Amino acid sequence: MTGILRIALAHVATAIRERVTLFWFLIFPAFVLVLLALIFGNLGEEGEISFELGLINRDTVSAGPIDFAEIVEETFRSLAEPGEGSAEPLFTLHQPNDDTDVEAFLDSELTALRRGRRAAVVVIQAGFGNAVFGSYGQASSDSAKLSVYMTTSNVASQMATEIIEQVLAGVDREILTRGGRYDAAQAIEPETVWLGTTGEETPYVDFVLPGIILMGFFVNGLFGVPGAILFNRDRKVLRRYWVTPLSVPRFLAGFSIGHLALCGLQFVLLYLLGRYALGASVSFASPSAFLLLLLAAVTFLAFGFLIASLARTTQGGMAAANILNMPMMFLSGLFFPIAGLPFFLRLIVYANPLSYLAQGLRASLGIETSVFTPTQILGVPLAWIALSVVIASIRLRWDVER
Amino acid sequence: MSALKSLLLAELRILMRDRMALFLTLLFPLVFILVFGFLMGDIGDVSRSTMGVFISTDLDREELEAAVAAAGTMEIVPFGSLAEIKEAVAAREIDFGLVWDGKQLDVFYDAARVQENFAFQQVATGITTDFNLRRQGVEAALSVDVIDIGATSSANWFSLVLPGILAFSVLSAGLSAISGHVTAMKERKILDRLIVTPMRPVLLLVAVAGVRLGIVFVSTLITLFVGILLFGLRYEISWLRYTVFIVCGTAGAMGLGTTIALLVRRPSSASNIAHALSMLMLFLAGIYFPVEFMPGFLRALSVAMPLTHMANALRYAVGVVEMSEAEFWAISASFLGIALVLFPVLARYVIRPLRH
Amino acid sequence: MGEGTLLRVIDLKKHYGETKAVDGIAFSVANASVFTLLGPNGAGKTTTLEILEGIREADSGTIEIFGERVGRITRSIKQRTGVLLQDGGFEPYLKVREILTLFASFFDRPLPVQEILKHVALEEKAGALVRTLSGGQLQRLALGAALVNDPELIFLDEPTTGLDPQARRNMWSVVADLQDRGKTIILTTHYMEEAEALSDSVCILDHGTIIAEGTPRELTQAFGEETIVEFRIDDPSRKALGGLQTCCKQYRVDGGAVTVETEDLLTTMEELFAWSRREQVPLDSLIVRQPNLEDVFLSLTGRRLRE
Repeated sequence: MTGILRIALAHVATAIRERVTLFWFLIFPAFVLVLLALIFGNLGEEGEISFELGLINRDTVSAGPIDFAEIVEETFRSLAEPGEGSAEPLFTLHQPNDDTDVEAFLDSELTALRRGRRAAVVVIQAGFGNAVFGSYGQASSDSAKLSVYMTTSNVASQMATEIIEQVLAGVDREILTRGGRYDAAQAIEPETVWLGTTGEETPYVDFVLPGIILMGFFVNGLFGVPGAILFNRDRKVLRRYWVTPLSVPRFLAGFSIGHLALCGLQFVLLYLLGRYALGASVSFASPSAFLLLLLAAVTFLAFGFLIASLARTTQGGMAAANILNMPMMFLSGLFFPIAGLPFFLRLIVYANPLSYLAQGLRASLGIETSVFTPTQILGVPLAWIALSVVIASIRLRWDVER
Repeated sequence: MSALKSLLLAELRILMRDRMALFLTLLFPLVFILVFGFLMGDIGDVSRSTMGVFISTDLDREELEAAVAAAGTMEIVPFGSLAEIKEAVAAREIDFGLVWDGKQLDVFYDAARVQENFAFQQVATGITTDFNLRRQGVEAALSVDVIDIGATSSANWFSLVLPGILAFSVLSAGLSAISGHVTAMKERKILDRLIVTPMRPVLLLVAVAGVRLGIVFVSTLITLFVGILLFGLRYEISWLRYTVFIVCGTAGAMGLGTTIALLVRRPSSASNIAHALSMLMLFLAGIYFPVEFMPGFLRALSVAMPLTHMANALRYAVGVVEMSEAEFWAISASFLGIALVLFPVLARYVIRPLRH
Repeated sequence: MGEGTLLRVIDLKKHYGETKAVDGIAFSVANASVFTLLGPNGAGKTTTLEILEGIREADSGTIEIFGERVGRITRSIKQRTGVLLQDGGFEPYLKVREILTLFASFFDRPLPVQEILKHVALEEKAGALVRTLSGGQLQRLALGAALVNDPELIFLDEPTTGLDPQARRNMWSVVADLQDRGKTIILTTHYMEEAEALSDSVCILDHGTIIAEGTPRELTQAFGEETIVEFRIDDPSRKALGGLQTCCKQYRVDGGAVTVETEDLLTTMEELFAWSRREQVPLDSLIVRQPNLEDVFLSLTGRRLRE
């Protein structure tokens, strides 16, 4: 027995000491976790996202006692004030000085927008104030005009535009209320209802942490397992074992235990990172979650053996792992929603064990209800394990060709 | 056959047989866009979403329906009961659901769709605002005209992602040419064997650079055309700028590879470090998601990365973003400059014997 | 099986398609002796040894080992053997002590790791990573792994290939020491001096078959009562060489080296000197010696042990 455990220990020690392995199976997933949580976790929240905005007021003539254009400008300026603490303001405004030629400024702002230096440019058109004032008197056909210049291809610009439209809708209500035409008290406030197990919006980090843990297991199995076997076979490290009483099955047992221990290490570190550094509240303390994590670790271990068996050369094996990495990881619903994919890509999703494990894990953690049945969630990974075991036991060579 | 020609041929053969390098330069961009083309094509595009509506009263029904109809081109699905619409949201048959009972307006979201709910919420807010105005018989005082002045009229985020991935493959090719190929030659003492011949080291480097450049050209063009043919992406490619950039970018990346090779003691570690750095850069260079989404300190980091500027320059060369001409040429010149400065240093590295 | 025979191999065969790597080999190894398989590269030495080590399967043949007749080497047999492979790696990121502890754990009754470290003189390097070891240190580690179970039968596959003369002498003294302690050793080599210095019995292998066997002395004596005279001449093509035929019955010219075999040393020397004076050919680097295993092999096959 102790031979098996020592093989396991050797596997773990080597992975930790080999800096390359350590990077890819620990540091890189941690990096992706932190990055995604920082970016998508705070999307739309104040202080986390900031847009460069050009603001131009062409309405120089004010008709009545209220300068409506000024109200609009004031609204945007208030959003450009630094928030509490050191939070960045939502907008950084670019406005012409008193002596700048407004049209020339608009041109330069539009150029800046095209070059990606602005998220949007808002122009209050001439006659704005008059049109608003006119709308107080009678139902005017001339509504007060604003233009928002943006670029559709830029997601930031799209988002900024949506926010600007909301801001302007608020100004619109304000103007209507002041004009006595709109009663804010009568407005219907929509109630947001989150359908899910907690009744609350799932925090992004709770959503992404299980995915990153699975990604860690996946990468460990996809690269670490073939790497260890193929390189050690080539270097004839394995051959030194076979001249001793250590048999292949016992070596495999030790190797697998070592691999699972590494997965355990990944889990602990990523969980601690997610929980204490990023505020994740999801709890893995349920039997079904544990079972799924174990199933995932074993599935990718087996998958690694499959690759090692089918690879004709070590280089070819690692290249195969690299090619499979991206499609399997992204066509699984781990990070991107997989709706609306064409048929052949959906096939990959349905064949991919990671799709089932991801859904199963999230369902067992109470984050979402799965579209796959429990039979599918357990069955597909188990089928892959069985397939890998069969192929590996036929094809996996434990010594170099002679 | 001249020395240069035979070196070029040898380098070509070696690259063809080096599956990892071939993969990273040729296949990776292709696989990437094939996978992502479908996944990311609709990001942020709410016109493809489906909203369910259940109105259980006649009070303000017309106004709500009008507000919903005015909201955009998404698909509207009517429902007959509260239970049904909730089920549909949970089963993801619809993206979100609107329920009006005459007093209360509820919007149902699937709590687990964390990446998409933001966009749906925007739509719901817009409908609510419109509905409130209509209920009180008021028309909006402001009229907001959204004008898209982007370079390509039907461009979406994916058309920006693709040139970003091409930039990554240029970076990988250049980096791996030095921190990969040349360092491996050094480690295996192949360089030593070549140096004792009359071969001039400069020719070897020219051969390495030439072959890599050729491969990068081929692979980026293939990827570009697949994107255009398969996903209907529209580009206005300036072949002059494209060519200039591929040359300067690859050269600059080779310069970066030289820097790594010089700083790292063991030649075998150089390729691992180069690969790790390029992966990290891939995430931070605004290729997967816009730089604006990053917190301040990461945005600053992103600006410092070569890949960010490579991606922007290439986007400009294929016509999806605008950039000042001066900036484009400045970027290209800087990369070329890095290469020219480091080329003689690289030649010396090649000649210096490996010492432990 | 006779008393004192630890291992017997009968009609061992291993073919790879048309190639007959091992073609009907048979030998016995006595207890507490050093048995050597001598032959050039490609003779089948390593193939034979790997079959006996249990990492290659023979096509046919019988092995009698430790009093048992087996078709292939079992795990319980491996408990009692130690193997030093011709080539083989260790996990680069494990430490010396960890490697030995790991190998020790495969056996039922291993020696203490500290003792092995001392035995192979790697105590100072116990905490060093394998990737930092020199070639000689790696070989000592491999030896340590081979001896970790205090084996009765030890296989050493080309143990001194690639080692410097000092390391080679160290290995020879290790072999002698092991033999003193009652171990049985089977060793392969293509170095004739090694076979002569270490072996109790030698089998000469060529193209998968045994072409000669016996003690080193028996083999060289079978060669005959001859003495070898060697010298060098500067110009091998000189017509003068023709004159050698009259004085020497058996001689060979190989580049600038001339080798003469004779049973009557005195007469041959007189005639050689006469010829030399007559033809004005100086006899450079003149050596007179007894035949060795290299000569045996050469006379049997027409080729050298070492290319």
